[in-house]
Amino acid sequence: MNKYYYWVLVMGLSALMGCSSSVNKSTDILQMRLGGEPSVLNPILSTDVPSSEVGGLIFDGLFHVNSDLQLEANLITTYNVSEDHLVYTFSLKPDVKWHDGHPFTSEDVVFTFNKILDPSTNTVRRSNYIINQKPILFEATGPLEVTVSLPQPFSPFLLHMGMGILPKHLLEGVDINTATFNRQPVGLGPFKFHSWHSSQFVRLKRNEDYHRGEVRVAEIIQKIIPDQNTALVSLERGEIDRAGIPAKDVPRYRDQPELDIYEYYDLVYTYLGFNLKHPIFSNTQIRQAIAYALDRQIMIDSVLKGMGQEAHLPSSPLLWSYPEDDRIKKYAYNPEKSRAILAQEGFVLNAKTGMLEKEGVPFKFTIITNKGNKDREKICQLIQQFLKEVGIHVDIQLMEWSAFLKVVNAYKDPKEYDAVVLGWSLGLDPDLYAIWHSSQYPRGFNFIGYQNPQVDRLIEQGRQALQQSTRREIYAQAYQAITQDAGYVFLYIPQSIVGMNKRVKGLSKPGPAGLMNRIEEIYLVE
Amino acid sequence: MNNRRLLKIVLKRVLAAIPLMFGITLLSFMIMRLAPGDPVMMFTDPTITIQDMAQLRQNLGLDQPLVIQYFAWLKQVLQGNLGVSFISGKPVLEAILERLPATLLLSISSLVMILLITFPLGLFSGYFKGSIFDDTVTVFTFVGLSIPTFWLGLVLILLFSLELNWFPTAGFLDPYLFDAGLFAQAGSVLHHLCLPLLTIVIGGIAGLTRYYRFGIIGILNQDYIQAARARGISENRLLTRHAVKNAILPIITILGLSLPGLIGGSFVIEYIFSWPGMGQLGVNAVFSRDYPIIMGTILMSSTLIILGNLLADIVYVWVDPRISLSDA
Repeated sequence: MNKYYYWVLVMGLSALMGCSSSVNKSTDILQMRLGGEPSVLNPILSTDVPSSEVGGLIFDGLFHVNSDLQLEANLITTYNVSEDHLVYTFSLKPDVKWHDGHPFTSEDVVFTFNKILDPSTNTVRRSNYIINQKPILFEATGPLEVTVSLPQPFSPFLLHMGMGILPKHLLEGVDINTATFNRQPVGLGPFKFHSWHSSQFVRLKRNEDYHRGEVRVAEIIQKIIPDQNTALVSLERGEIDRAGIPAKDVPRYRDQPELDIYEYYDLVYTYLGFNLKHPIFSNTQIRQAIAYALDRQIMIDSVLKGMGQEAHLPSSPLLWSYPEDDRIKKYAYNPEKSRAILAQEGFVLNAKTGMLEKEGVPFKFTIITNKGNKDREKICQLIQQFLKEVGIHVDIQLMEWSAFLKVVNAYKDPKEYDAVVLGWSLGLDPDLYAIWHSSQYPRGFNFIGYQNPQVDRLIEQGRQALQQSTRREIYAQAYQAITQDAGYVFLYIPQSIVGMNKRVKGLSKPGPAGLMNRIEEIYLVE
Repeated sequence: MNNRRLLKIVLKRVLAAIPLMFGITLLSFMIMRLAPGDPVMMFTDPTITIQDMAQLRQNLGLDQPLVIQYFAWLKQVLQGNLGVSFISGKPVLEAILERLPATLLLSISSLVMILLITFPLGLFSGYFKGSIFDDTVTVFTFVGLSIPTFWLGLVLILLFSLELNWFPTAGFLDPYLFDAGLFAQAGSVLHHLCLPLLTIVIGGIAGLTRYYRFGIIGILNQDYIQAARARGISENRLLTRHAVKNAILPIITILGLSLPGLIGGSFVIEYIFSWPGMGQLGVNAVFSRDYPIIMGTILMSSTLIILGNLLADIVYVWVDPRISLSDA
C-alpha cells in the first residue's frame, strides 16, 4: 500500500491547517485498548485475550506471576507441602473481602476448583486438575485453610493454583455457563467491575479495599478497538495510553514526544515442522540438512525488521528452564553442509532442472500455513528460496484457519501434509507433554508424529520431579534430544513492541508478564 | 373490496413464507456445519487437551447428529427462544438487540443521505447527458466506487481525526459521557457517526447515481415524453411532473431490497471505526463458529428479506395503477 504517499498528503494538509491534539486527559483514568469484544468475564470459562485482559484486573488467584515470571503468594500467607509431595495446605490471607463486601473464605477456593472439575461446566481447563484420570481433591479444612490432595506428584500443579477465584455466594446453584455474573463479575482483584457496553468499552473502578494495598488509579476504561491502525491513531491522539506497535511502524513512533516504546521477547516461537510419517521426512539426516539450509537471521531481519531472536529449542531464554548455551545444538546457516548431507543421502543434482533427485524423483514438498498471518506467509516464501538454493523445490499452500486445523488435527495416521509453518506459545512451566509426548499423536498437538521413547520418559520424569534444579537437568536432556532429532526447525522468537503514553508511571520491567505487573502501583501524571 | 383482496394475497404470501423460512434455515444450518471447524476446535492451544475439547463438544450438543441438532434448534425457536451464544453464554436475542441501535443509526442515515444525493445527481446527469456536468459526476462517482473502503476509512481518520482533530478516531459514545445528559450523549454519538457515514456515502453514491441516470435517459426517450414535448409543455414541467414521477418508482424496490441490509451492518466499516454493530457480531460469530448467533442473524435477515419484498410489492400496487398483485 502506498501509505507513504497519503502520509505526505496528510502532512501537507496539516501544515496548512496547523495541527492540534487534545483529548480528555484526567490523571484518574487509565485508558487501555482491547483488541476485541471480551467473551465471558469469568476466569474458568474464558479462553480469549480480551476476556483475560479485563478479568485479570477483576479476579485474583492464590498466586500471582511477577515480572520475573516467578510465582508469588497472593491470596495466601503461606503453604505447606507434605513429605510425599501429595498434600498441599494453603493458609489464606485473613480479612480479604469480595467487591460486594462479602468475606473471602476457603469455601470460595474449593467452590472454584470444583466448578472447573464439574463436567457440565463449559471449561477447557479441567485437565489441569486431573492427573492420570484422577481428579485433584480440594477441601476446606478451616475457614481460611484449603487442603489439596494430589493422586501423584505433579510439578506444574502450583501454576494452576493461580486461577482466579470465584465467589461461591453469588454462583452457587446458578448455571455458570450462562450466568449474568459472567457479564457483571464480582472478584477479589484490584478493580471492581462498573459497566460493559458491548463492543464499545468496559469500565472498571478501583477496589478501595484491595488486599495488596492502595490502588493508585481511580478508574480504568478499556476501549474495544479491533483495528490495529485505528488503535495506533488512538494512541497518538492520547485516546488510549497503551497499544502494541507492529515492527514495521516502530520507526514512526520512536520519535513521538508523548510516547515511550518498550520491547521484550514474547513467550512464543515460530517453527517449521515436518510430518515425520512422510517417506522423506522420516529420515533425520534430511531434516537436519534442511535445518542447515535456513538462515534465521535473514528471516528475522526481513520479516520482523530485526525485532526478534533466533530460536533453537522449544523454550525461551526468559524461562528458568532454559539450558546453558553450550548444551544447545544450533543449526547455524551452512548451505554447504546441507548439500553434503543431501548428497550423502543419495540425492543428485539434475543439471537440467537444477533440482535434487533421487532415483529420478525430484525432491519437492509442500509447506502449509494459515492464511492471513503475513509473517508466516513471508517465512514460507523465504524457506522456499533458501531451499531452492540447495536444490529442493517447495510449494506453499495457504489455508483458512479451520481448514488448516482440519488437516493437522485429522485423526489419522499418517496425516495428509508434508510440512507446516506455525507458532506455539510457551507456558511458564517447561512441561513438554502436549506437543512432544508420543501419546499426543495422532490425536493431540503432537501432529508431526514425534515419537522418541527417551523423550517420553524425560517428559514423564519432568512432571513428577519437584526440585527446580532436577527439572532443569531433565528438560536440558529432553531439549538436546528434540533438537538433535530436528522434528521441528525452530526459527525465531519475536519481540513484542508496546507504545505507552509517557503520563503512565509505576511500570514494571518489560517482559511477557506485562509492563503493568502490579497494576495497583500504576499512576498517571500531568 | 380491493383491500380485502390485498389482505388475502398478503396472507397467502405470509403462509407461503413459512416453508420458505424452514428451507432457508435448514439449508443454512447444513452449509454452516459443512464448513470445517467447530467452536471447540478453534482453540489450538497446547494447554488445552483433547479430553477437555471432547467434553465441551458434548456439553454444547455438538456430538449429536446434525439433523437432531437442527430440530433441537428449531424446536427452541418455535418456543420463542433463539438460544444462547456458545462463546459468551449470552442470549442470542439480547446479543442481536444490543447491536441493533448502532447498526440502524448508521445504515438508515447513510441510506437516506445516499438517496438524497444520488437522485438529483442522477436526474441531472441523465437530463444533461454528455455535458461537462455529466462527465464530472461520472468520474467522481467512479472514483468513490473504486477506493477500497478500509483505505478510505483510514485516510479519513488520519486526516479528520489525527491531523485536523475535528472528529474522534473511533467508537460510538464517548465513555466519559457515561453519566451525561441525553443531549450530550446524542451529540457525542452524532460526532462519532460522521466519519463512518462519510466513508459509506462516498463509496455508495456511484451505483445509484448511475442507476438513476440510465433510468431518466430511458424515460426521456419514451413516446409519452416526446408527445408531451410536442404539445409544448415546458421542459421544467416535463421533468418534474412527467419524468420524475416514473423515475421515483425504482426507489421503492431499492428500499425494499435494502431492508435486510439495514440490519446487516458493514463489517469493514464497523471494524475500522470500532462501531458496535451487527456486522462485527455476525462476522466474529462466523470466525468463532458461534452457531446460535449465526443462525439468529440468518433468521432475522431472511425474515426481513421476505418482508421487504412483500412490502415493496404492496407499495408498488398503491403507487402505480399499472401493476397489480396476482394471487396466483
